[in-house]
Amino acid sequence: MAPRGLRRCPTDDGVSLFVGTVSTDGVPAGCRGVGAVTNDELKTLTVYVPIATSREVLANIAANKRIALVATYPPDHSTVQVKGRTTGVRLAADAEEALVRARLETFAASLEQIGIPRRVTRAINHWPAFAIDFTIDEIFEQTPGPKAGTPIR
Amino acid sequence: MTRLAELSRCFQGVVPCVVVTSDARGVPNVTYVSQVYYLDDEHVALSCQFFNKTRRNLDENPLAFVEVMEPLTLQTWRLRIRFLRSEKSGPLFDKMALRIEAIASHTGMSGVFRLIAADVFHVESFEKNEGFLTVAPADAAEQVSIDGVRSEVRGLQYISERINRAECLDELLDAVLEALDKYFGFEHTMILLPEDNATRLVTMASRGYGESGVGAEVVMGDGLIGTVAREKRLLCISGLEAEMRYGRTIRRESGAVTPEVPLPGLPDAQSALVIPLTICDRLVGVIAAEDRDPIRFGEWHEAYLEIIANQIALGIDRMLETDPEVEAEIRALSTQDSSVRRTVTYYKNDDCVFIDGEYLIRNVPGRILWKLLRDWKRDGRTEFSNRELRLDPGLGLPPIKDNLESRLILLRRRLDEKCPELRLVPTARGRFALRVEGRVELVER
Repeated sequence: MAPRGLRRCPTDDGVSLFVGTVSTDGVPAGCRGVGAVTNDELKTLTVYVPIATSREVLANIAANKRIALVATYPPDHSTVQVKGRTTGVRLAADAEEALVRARLETFAASLEQIGIPRRVTRAINHWPAFAIDFTIDEIFEQTPGPKAGTPIR
Repeated sequence: MTRLAELSRCFQGVVPCVVVTSDARGVPNVTYVSQVYYLDDEHVALSCQFFNKTRRNLDENPLAFVEVMEPLTLQTWRLRIRFLRSEKSGPLFDKMALRIEAIASHTGMSGVFRLIAADVFHVESFEKNEGFLTVAPADAAEQVSIDGVRSEVRGLQYISERINRAECLDELLDAVLEALDKYFGFEHTMILLPEDNATRLVTMASRGYGESGVGAEVVMGDGLIGTVAREKRLLCISGLEAEMRYGRTIRRESGAVTPEVPLPGLPDAQSALVIPLTICDRLVGVIAAEDRDPIRFGEWHEAYLEIIANQIALGIDRMLETDPEVEAEIRALSTQDSSVRRTVTYYKNDDCVFIDGEYLIRNVPGRILWKLLRDWKRDGRTEFSNRELRLDPGLGLPPIKDNLESRLILLRRRLDEKCPELRLVPTARGRFALRVEGRVELVER
């Protein structure tokens, strides 16, 4: 469940997710996320990343726990960024596949609103996936404009 | 080995790109940017529009990770880049600023939504994001809309021939738009010429729209066309709808109240190409092309389009300057058909002409029409020459560069659309006849 007052949340339907990490020698890397869940109003979050494209991200968070996740809703660019520390990485369970598939479908629907056909979006590799659990230290408003970067929490 | 140039569609701004940076403590930051600009095979640039976290991070750690997306297939590519410098003036800055200013002007955000700096990066490495898609995308090159077998030289020859063959400005404008359609596949186009005082442009010819936009005006500096006219630099925007949405988001976030400038032409345009027609530094006109295909214009090299634009500008300028008196048979006569009645009202305070209460035209073309109709009503005249109009002080034409031919074309086309009972029929170079059908009443207020 997302906290009140947040315009955009990584767990919303239709959002585009992107995970950012940094190696211990300062080289950034990132990959697309394919779903996110929270059960405690964004005190902690689980983000799913496809195994196929997350090798560098996982290598980075094995050494440097710091993680950033941006969620943006493509039709209106409303965006939020959360930052925190990784508490665990695991292979996502079969029981979580339905959630990831549902997220991809809502993402395809939001991209369809801006002219990208669903069949194209459905070709994005999303399973099998790793689940990255992390605690959230900071939340930032990141919708493009003068308020981008304003801390929310 | 793939060259960065081969990812050109990823750099057209159709799909936003992601940038990951880090501060000195190793805290990552992720942000979306509307476009990564390709400079050469080793360099790209990012627009700095706000002093944000990405900008501060680059001062602490110059390394960044960028993911760009091929808009036709969604295949992503990963770039590892190193920040080199910020440019706050110069050709790169001007080019990036033009695009941002045009979008800002269109969305009512001039001055708020602007380029602070063009940040230049060295591309350390890049690779295809293997495994991102479950199925290999079809070759995007097969889906692009431009006919690759036609050479650029042939295109230049084709358009030059059409320009040289035209005998008057009217023909030339139509020939240019037809050539752009037939050869280049630009189906929705218009040509605008500046008014005397250079504060606005008037649409003189259009092609590919259901209803002609002839006579529609654009204020200098307003929107995409007005910005190009003011800056006299070519603007090519792919993924126009995405850019507009991005601009509208910033507008909403800034609480701006300036109204958006309506885009002329297609309501659902996805890409736009606006070409200034200049001779030295003088603006002769603007060609605007739109399309529903988001990457329609991105494949054409700007330098090549500028050569084409020079040809067109020279042709238009030549037509505006020449006024040879070629003798020919006068073929228009006034006729009276009592079945149609029209009331032409001239408002002398603002030089506006209305037909049956509907606006027709204003300023110099309005005064010209009123003179022709008064002469016709008073003396029964139907034949006129450009020369006598030039010598008539009441029309207020400037002594040089009076654009008389373009004003007559505008007047002729507006009459064709709004009042076909009144026609200006060219009879020879520099001569024309007024043809009146039906009963016409003149009212001056």
